Amino acid sequence: MGSIQTLAIGLGMAGYYALVAVGFGLIFATLRIFHVAHGTVFVTGGYVFFFLHRLYGFDLATSAAIAVACAAILGVAIDRVIYIPIMRRGGGMFAVFIASLGVALIFDALYLVLTKGVLAIARTDSLQIWNVGAIALRQYDMAMVVLVLVIFLLLYLWLHRTRTGLEIRALTDNEMLAGTVGMNVDRTRNSIFLIASAMAGLAGVLTAYDNGINPDSGNRTLFIAVVAVILGGVRNLLAGTLLGSVALGIITAFAMFLYPEWVTFCIFAMMIVLILFRPKGLFG
Amino acid sequence: MEHLLFIGNLICVWIIFSLGANLVIGYTGMMAMGQAAYLGVGAYTAAGLNIFFGVDFFTASLAGAVVAAVVAVLTFLPLLRLDGFYFALATLGLNFVFFDLFHNLAPRVEGSEGLYGLEMPYIISRPVGLFIAILGATILCVAICWRLDRSPFGRALRATRDKPEALQSLGKDPRKFQISVWALGGAFSGLAGAIYAATLFYIDPTLFTLNTSIAVLVFIGVGGLASIPGSILGPVVLVAFTEGLRFIGLPSTLTAPIQSALYGLLLVLLMMFRRQGLVGNYDFKD
Repeated sequence: MGSIQTLAIGLGMAGYYALVAVGFGLIFATLRIFHVAHGTVFVTGGYVFFFLHRLYGFDLATSAAIAVACAAILGVAIDRVIYIPIMRRGGGMFAVFIASLGVALIFDALYLVLTKGVLAIARTDSLQIWNVGAIALRQYDMAMVVLVLVIFLLLYLWLHRTRTGLEIRALTDNEMLAGTVGMNVDRTRNSIFLIASAMAGLAGVLTAYDNGINPDSGNRTLFIAVVAVILGGVRNLLAGTLLGSVALGIITAFAMFLYPEWVTFCIFAMMIVLILFRPKGLFG
Repeated sequence: MEHLLFIGNLICVWIIFSLGANLVIGYTGMMAMGQAAYLGVGAYTAAGLNIFFGVDFFTASLAGAVVAAVVAVLTFLPLLRLDGFYFALATLGLNFVFFDLFHNLAPRVEGSEGLYGLEMPYIISRPVGLFIAILGATILCVAICWRLDRSPFGRALRATRDKPEALQSLGKDPRKFQISVWALGGAFSGLAGAIYAATLFYIDPTLFTLNTSIAVLVFIGVGGLASIPGSILGPVVLVAFTEGLRFIGLPSTLTAPIQSALYGLLLVLLMMFRRQGLVGNYDFKD
């Protein structure tokens, strides 16, 4: 397996990371919430899809659509039921962060009981492969890269061409002022959580279809997304997370190929070094 | 009876671990999210010295505490300049970094994932003797914390947390207190790790993960921040509760998920309704 092949695999992984990372980054940049439970939303999308498709026999598109909707609703619900009440009672960033960890723990335990920790893979057949020279490209990966690029384009349009997008960018710059000029901060907040969670749910569906998910996948994917966001920086969210995710996808692909037992170490050592030297991101 | 002594030992381990974490998080207000790493360093040092070098267990435990303190300071110094949130995130990363280090580099007894075969000195080779020794160590740790709480050092710690500028204006460097309390927290965690190894007789890397760091946060969060009774109350209540689940005959495949779901729920409820815990003197900042 050559290094170009590894690069191709890394690009495939970058797709999942980007979808989770951009939502996490959006929430972190606009609302100052370190949303650990975003990983839970991701894995919930995956499991709803898996159970509907494999257990109840719904077709792929229907189960995917329901799963994304469930993920989106869960994300908004976590914000409304847990984060907002904590903030109303005077809790700050740490309090929300710890509560978010708590939410992730509860759902991890639930999925562990439901699935006994077994890897859940929704697809039953093998995937089509294109051979380009010596490199084998999976059609699924290529389709996903295109899908992710389309979603990022839509996100760009949403953030830069609509009123909600303008409000979100205003929140990023100055929340107090945004509220003062008569913006409906609560409604904007809902749309942020809705869109971010839908994207995480979609990433969950895509992962569950292909590589499979287990109860740990949520936290694992979330922390990779966190590193991607820190790597890219939140100043220029879309380009930053895209670059960060691609870099991280390639790094994890090479680490898995060369030193599989050190993958986690690589990711988190990199995160700590980044926090120390470039907390605003390499490209931020 | 033997099982009750085992539960007693477990509670003592978590009390010592919580005392150390509370010094750092409660008294000094630093969001330490990676205490499990130092617990693991202590456990591996003590067990490794005892099993492979024949060092007697008391000396090995002390060595575990010292090595954990040194490792704690070495990992803390680079992070010292980070403020609040990024500090928490970096210490959170330590869990994963140390898990891979334990998993890939720590010694193993052949044919297993971890270490076993501790040689205990004669007086603590029976369950009762072991429990009395562990209880003694716990009481000693509580006494040390009690003393610190009322000493100028303890006041300086709280000042570091609440008003570092005031401390600076008196010509004292808050960073000096942060480093010393971090070392102390590391030493407590290391000692707890050594005792943990003696309690379980078998250790492997999966004991020292993010979940353990979260557990200590739950212990002191429920018990109470910046409070010695809080550090004792949290482990007692929570260990008694989860062991109680076993007594009422819940299948053992369900106890672990129920315990972690309970911890999660407690974290959410605490943050919502009672951020200072049952008997705490401080709440999670910001």
